[in-house]
Amino acid sequence: MNKRQVIRLLGAILLVEAACMAPSLVVALIYRDPGDAAAMLYSMLIVLAAGLPMRLLAKPKHTDLRAREGFAVVGLSWVLMSLFGALPFVFSGMLPSYVDAFFEAVSGFTTTGSTVVADFDHLPHGCTFWRSFTHWVGGMGVLVLTLAVLPKLTGRTSHLVRAESPGPSLSKIAPKMGDTAKILYRVYAAMSASMFVLLMVFGMSPYDAAIHTFGTAGTGGFSNYGASIAAFHSPAIEVVITVYMLLFGVNLALFYSLFTGSAKDFFRSEELKWYLGMSGGAILICSLCLLPVYGSFSTALRYGAFQVATIVSTTGFATTDFNLWPIAVKAVLLVLMFVGSCAGSTAGGMKVVRVALLFKQGKREIASTFQPRKMQVVRFEGKGVDENMLHRVTLFAFLYVLLVLIGGLLVSLGGQYDLLTNFTAALTCVSNVGPGFGEVVGPVGNFAGFSPFSKLVLSLLMLAGRLELYPILVLFHPSLWHKA
Amino acid sequence: MRIMVIGAGKVGRTLAEHLSSEEYDVTIIDQNEEILRECEDRLDVMCVHGNGANAKTLIDAGVDHTDILIAATAGDEVNMLVCLMGKRLGAKYAIARIRDPQYNESLTLLQRELGIDMAINPERATAQEISRLLRYPFASNIEPFAKGLVEMVEFRVQSKDRLNGLALKDLASKHPGLPRVLYAAVERSGDVTIPSGDFVLQDGDRVFVAGDVVTVTSFFRYLGRDTLRIKDVMILGGGRISYYLAKLIVPTGIRVTIIEINPAKARKLSEDLPQVNVICGDGTNQELLEQEGLSTTDAFIALCDRDEENLMTGLFAERHGVPKVVVKNNRITYASIIESLGLDSVVSPRHITGATLLRYVRARVNADGAKVEKLYRLLGGAAEALEFEARLTDSYIGIPLKDLTMRKNTLIAVIARRGKVIVPFGNDHIEAGDSVVVIAKERGLRDLNEVISR
Repeated sequence: MNKRQVIRLLGAILLVEAACMAPSLVVALIYRDPGDAAAMLYSMLIVLAAGLPMRLLAKPKHTDLRAREGFAVVGLSWVLMSLFGALPFVFSGMLPSYVDAFFEAVSGFTTTGSTVVADFDHLPHGCTFWRSFTHWVGGMGVLVLTLAVLPKLTGRTSHLVRAESPGPSLSKIAPKMGDTAKILYRVYAAMSASMFVLLMVFGMSPYDAAIHTFGTAGTGGFSNYGASIAAFHSPAIEVVITVYMLLFGVNLALFYSLFTGSAKDFFRSEELKWYLGMSGGAILICSLCLLPVYGSFSTALRYGAFQVATIVSTTGFATTDFNLWPIAVKAVLLVLMFVGSCAGSTAGGMKVVRVALLFKQGKREIASTFQPRKMQVVRFEGKGVDENMLHRVTLFAFLYVLLVLIGGLLVSLGGQYDLLTNFTAALTCVSNVGPGFGEVVGPVGNFAGFSPFSKLVLSLLMLAGRLELYPILVLFHPSLWHKA
Repeated sequence: MRIMVIGAGKVGRTLAEHLSSEEYDVTIIDQNEEILRECEDRLDVMCVHGNGANAKTLIDAGVDHTDILIAATAGDEVNMLVCLMGKRLGAKYAIARIRDPQYNESLTLLQRELGIDMAINPERATAQEISRLLRYPFASNIEPFAKGLVEMVEFRVQSKDRLNGLALKDLASKHPGLPRVLYAAVERSGDVTIPSGDFVLQDGDRVFVAGDVVTVTSFFRYLGRDTLRIKDVMILGGGRISYYLAKLIVPTGIRVTIIEINPAKARKLSEDLPQVNVICGDGTNQELLEQEGLSTTDAFIALCDRDEENLMTGLFAERHGVPKVVVKNNRITYASIIESLGLDSVVSPRHITGATLLRYVRARVNADGAKVEKLYRLLGGAAEALEFEARLTDSYIGIPLKDLTMRKNTLIAVIARRGKVIVPFGNDHIEAGDSVVVIAKERGLRDLNEVISR
């Protein structure tokens, strides 16, 4: 492992994190809360003090990164960022326990949105802003941001971006990775800005609008209200958020082709069709099943569409407690929790493209039992899919489920809560959704009651889920740390 | 600047690597997904899978806003087709690699009709480089500048040399008869320096000197290196380079022996080159080499397909006392090993092609300023020698060099003015129309204004 270059890169990432803390400091100053501002300032200084020497003193012999180093940098940087990102919560007294603060920071960066905050009435503004801002940065990726800002940081960058970007394969928009990162962030910022304006138009204060834009754009789901979106009692806001949650579940590169005038590419995307078909079908089923609960179809659609969007985009906002809904709806939401959204979006889950490929592979397997000699090629986006890729997708699905099972098992070791709670908590963390099923981890509950051990396990699950398993899993592989 | 490379072979990949490291936007098209995946891993480029001679592939890869299209697939015909289509689909410039001697004869016609702006023939360029080495066997590398007026020659300092152990500034006083040349760059144990007056030359240094042709020749005569005249050449391998090389050197009166293992190829060579002594046999067989006169030949040139065979037979010839040995090496990783074994004259078609194309690309980037007329990479790319033509509108014109600001790690080596060559000092100045040769330790310079300014 090229340790010096890894350290240098980690230092650069910490500097970017320190810069990301600046807006929260400004917010704290605007609201004239000295304790809050001090917490942000001290955290920033500590991150700078850690990052600067790493960036400046590590003198790598060469700047090349091989595949395993790329994965290691991504895994380590996310752990490191969360460790430092937890500081403001501890300093401000928002979450006095460091484990709780770490859980919250991981939940923020991984855009999960599971929270251990129980008291929403006395939140310090600066730290709460930071908590939501981590969603916005984590959604698109911190390394992607670092590359957009410092494109000449390292020789081979594709490993880094590939390890951080969701989806089985990475499609570049521009020949240079740095330019691709810049374009993606521009699209992301433009969409976020339009949402911010719309939320303000429909009556949110600038602060609330910012918090909920970050939560939606990163598909995270942190809110500064205990009741989440329900606190606004506004159908218009719910519609805006529903639509944007679904939009942020789409591959951002597709929006770029839409903005640059090739709308054909946008609508030709097979993954988008699967995604829209799946969400549309789910919304229809849920709304129909909810008809007896709410009486009118429009009300059923309002709540049904919001919940489907929030789960499928792995955001995790709430307008109601879906634990009280019929079992059929809950089953649909549970399935959606596994799937998630499109590759290249800010959302979590296994990704639509992988599920689609699994389906097609399954279909092929069945067909080959009665026509074994037939040559069958799995096609996606109009092209034959490489067998290696299919193999990787299958393996990924297996590891994903395995991780949920092991996670659920480990959380259950503490002996708290029931099976449904523990296993859906693990699932919601791996898929970066936010709420699970059951009273404790449901949309109106929180994760504060778990033991510190369970919280650490769930934090790791969130990281593994956000980075699509391998960058975190390689950290546990001994050969990574061997000399080579 | 957007550049599209079709064909991710040896040349294509080297080129993509250099171009992307010089901040150009590079797209590679190839049919082999495995190779593309490797490119994507190693280089910061966009990779497109498909046939470059397919219009749809070219359009999908964005040919319409491509500035330079480089066709470097294995097939000459495919390359021509790619250029033809690429130009019609909107590429500004098209470059094709065309290697077959058959096409070479009708190249002008082909280029005009197909819209090919530049045709490169790596084998012929390599043969030209080898023929220069045979003319000046004392040098391990020679590169002409300013239309042949200026020469830059690489040689290795030996322990018995009169230069050994002297500082550059003392050379004139210690050896008043030594012709004045410019010491452009020195490599010592892997480090490349642009030497100052205090630099002391040592045994084993690889030195680049520059000057006009007569001075450089007398410089080597003074060093006692000019005793050898090449009259007999033995070439191992009967490929395209050997063919072009024989075509070039046979008319100058050099006797050529080519050893080729494949009977059909040997027959064809003998048919095409009646004056050449073609031997059909295994050139890696030492007995055969000795039988065919290795001990009396003046130069041995190893041009097989396999680098390893070239290296081994080259070493054998060197140990056997052949005065001049040239080996072809296509894989960069071996270059340093070969040099450490004492084989200084290594030619690499891939690098010769790469340098030619880079010069072309850089010259296209700024059509207004002082363009790169020629680009030569010294010492495996650690330094570059660039030739520019000074323009009347540039700010440095007419000002003594000592009053100008030089970019760090660069050196103005020679100035060629109306057929005269000047090794410049502080009081010299640059005039419009001068050819200026610059040595730079960094890559990617495109304009003389980047090097000197007021």
